[in-house]
Amino acid sequence: MPLVEVSNLVKHFLVRGGVFNRVLRQVHAVNGVSFAIEKGKILGVVGESGCGKSTLGKLIVRLLDMTAGKVQFRGQDISHLSASELMSVRRKMQMIFQDPHASLNPRMTVGAAVREVVAFHKIVPKREIRDEVDALFAKVGIHTDSQEKYPHEFSGGQKQRVGIARSLAVNPEFIIADEPVSALDVSIQAQVLNLLMDLKDEFDLTMLFISHDLKVIDHFCDSVLVMYLGFVLEELPCRDIQADALHPYTKALLGANPVADPTQRHELTVLAGEVPSPYDLPRGCPFAARCELVTNQCRQEMPPLVEKESGHRVACWEV
Amino acid sequence: MISSLRRLFESRAARKLRRDNGALVALLVICVYLLVTIAVMCNAISLNDCSQVIGPKSAAGFFLKELPERRFEIARTSMLKPVARALQNSDPTAALADVKLGRWAVADKRLTQLQKIVSDAIAIQHELEKSENLDQAPELEPKLVEFERKTAELIEPLSRWDRLAQNAAMLLGTDAQGRSIFFRALYSIKVAIQIGVVTAVVSVLIGAILGAAAGFFGGWVDHCVVWLYTTFSSIPSLVLLVVIAYAFSASDAKETLLPVYVAFCATFWIGTCRVVRGETMKLKQLEYVQAARTAGFGSARILFRHVLPNTAHLMLINFSLLLIGAIKSEVILSYLGLGVQSQPSWGIMIRDAGNNGDVMSGFFWQIGAATFFMFFLVLAFNILSDALQDAFDPKHL
Ligand SMILES: Nc1ncnc2c1ncn2[C@@H]1O[C@H](COP(=O)(O)OP(=O)(O)O)[C@@H](O)[C@H]1O
Ligand SMILES: [Mg+2]
Repeated sequence: MPLVEVSNLVKHFLVRGGVFNRVLRQVHAVNGVSFAIEKGKILGVVGESGCGKSTLGKLIVRLLDMTAGKVQFRGQDISHLSASELMSVRRKMQMIFQDPHASLNPRMTVGAAVREVVAFHKIVPKREIRDEVDALFAKVGIHTDSQEKYPHEFSGGQKQRVGIARSLAVNPEFIIADEPVSALDVSIQAQVLNLLMDLKDEFDLTMLFISHDLKVIDHFCDSVLVMYLGFVLEELPCRDIQADALHPYTKALLGANPVADPTQRHELTVLAGEVPSPYDLPRGCPFAARCELVTNQCRQEMPPLVEKESGHRVACWEV
Repeated sequence: MISSLRRLFESRAARKLRRDNGALVALLVICVYLLVTIAVMCNAISLNDCSQVIGPKSAAGFFLKELPERRFEIARTSMLKPVARALQNSDPTAALADVKLGRWAVADKRLTQLQKIVSDAIAIQHELEKSENLDQAPELEPKLVEFERKTAELIEPLSRWDRLAQNAAMLLGTDAQGRSIFFRALYSIKVAIQIGVVTAVVSVLIGAILGAAAGFFGGWVDHCVVWLYTTFSSIPSLVLLVVIAYAFSASDAKETLLPVYVAFCATFWIGTCRVVRGETMKLKQLEYVQAARTAGFGSARILFRHVLPNTAHLMLINFSLLLIGAIKSEVILSYLGLGVQSQPSWGIMIRDAGNNGDVMSGFFWQIGAATFFMFFLVLAFNILSDALQDAFDPKHL
């Protein structure tokens, strides 16, 4: 049984406004996403900004209410749990946020922020809270003496480490890391990523790792989900993405990553055309407007996600 | 709470504020006003000091020499007349003991001596009364001085301490009933600050809690709060104040400050509510609030520990704005006779000055003192509010 199983998840944001708060339009942020993550695995989610990656993550931890679909955690359907029933599940699922500056309360010392979580869930007896938090800070590589400082006294990388400590404080099983390093300096991205992977092993975590960088995903994840405008276009194992990728969009993403080998330069695919607006989705394949292989069928009909081989699914008429 | 305040003090905004000289001067002025308030609360000036007759009516401040006609009037009426009448009483000793003008009593002299002084004085008075208008008769000046000296002999000299107290009380003159304008103006500081602080604290608390709840929970809570404040703010606030003040005028609470508090708090929370609601809607989207949600915290904890503390700067600015608002409105209400009832207030002083025709006859001390004290308090708070707003404006950070 997979640890997390998501089936047909849909999220439409209703944009309201005008007189009487009418629904002006719908944003189709997530359109029927399905996947499963086995315990101990890391599933990467990749896609351009605005394709619904964060929304997907928030739907899973129930920060947002889904329009349709189902999320199962350890076989239990959590999509309709009430707030109180969610409590125990929430402890097991945590999220690391993209913007480390916004993810810490500016009016709380970082130590207090983490202690609050530990105390709230009674992870350890009251007397041991301090020791527990000291240990957590040591694990994420923040000096224990810095606990009484406020977030603005830390650098972005340190703040993200505090954020990681806070999400680990409840001993979760499943972590959603929403672009955990994309707001950080390139020089420290690798440090934080390595820390995250070390902790994954230490805490025996299962992860959903969101990024817009296929290279990073290829390096750290077991398999990857390629999203476009809220649709999953391809899911493939991260063995040799360069060779395995079938979908033209995945290939384009690979091309968009700078390649070290100069002989491969000529293969660079440049994405042309506009991303369609999520307000009025085209009828057929969402990628049709920018695809090199586009046919009439693509414009008429959304291709189904079909399994090409074990663990490799593609939604494309042309492959 | 303490750590939140400490953080506020050490924040960049606070450092900016400390570099703002205007704000520092304003803060200093406010501190002086606060000291007076505390002194009055410790009974340095009692309500009795403010309602007592302490000297001649409508005396000028700073011991300025007045026009001859006024001096004649004061010398004639303050001691001479009551002593003369007491001497005619069947029991002159008892009657004389009752003659008092503030701290002044009749001089401790024998009846015959007093009788002599009175008849001498009345003789000079008759001579002076021959002139139509003393102001236009400089040649009578020596006579007037003599008359003043004579009437002064009727008064028991004050001890040194009493003289000091008397001079302080007379510093800004007296009103039409002979009460100390200086003490009344000082006492009004306490009334104004008390009303300002109580109203501002209560209004900010109500506004912040309702606003934060509305912004945070949304849905029907938000609808209710928005409905409430749009309804309240569509009533002209002065009219509402008048209505509430009238509603209380029949009850026992009429003499207290309660009607004023209720009237002000009923409308003053709206501004704070609006801004805190907006800020909460913004904060709610921030990731640390979402992180608190994924940590499983309840709404109350998130609201009070993670959202409200981050609106502290708005509360501070609104506190300062509401304080001035309340002080100014108090003056207006009291002027209309609907505000403070049994205590002095700048509004009442300004009204008295107008009603008694003081202003018309060129006696500006009462209205001058009231506006002077009010002006600097309001000015200081205005400067401080502006400085606070600047300091917390993210665009300047
Ligand atoms: N609360 C919201 N209301 C309306 N639209 C939203 C909301 N949150 C996200 N969206 C829209 O949903 C789409 C997906 O957003 P998001 O999941 O944040 O993308 P990503 O994380 O992949 O960059 C975007 O078009 C965004 O504008
Ligand atoms: Mg995102």
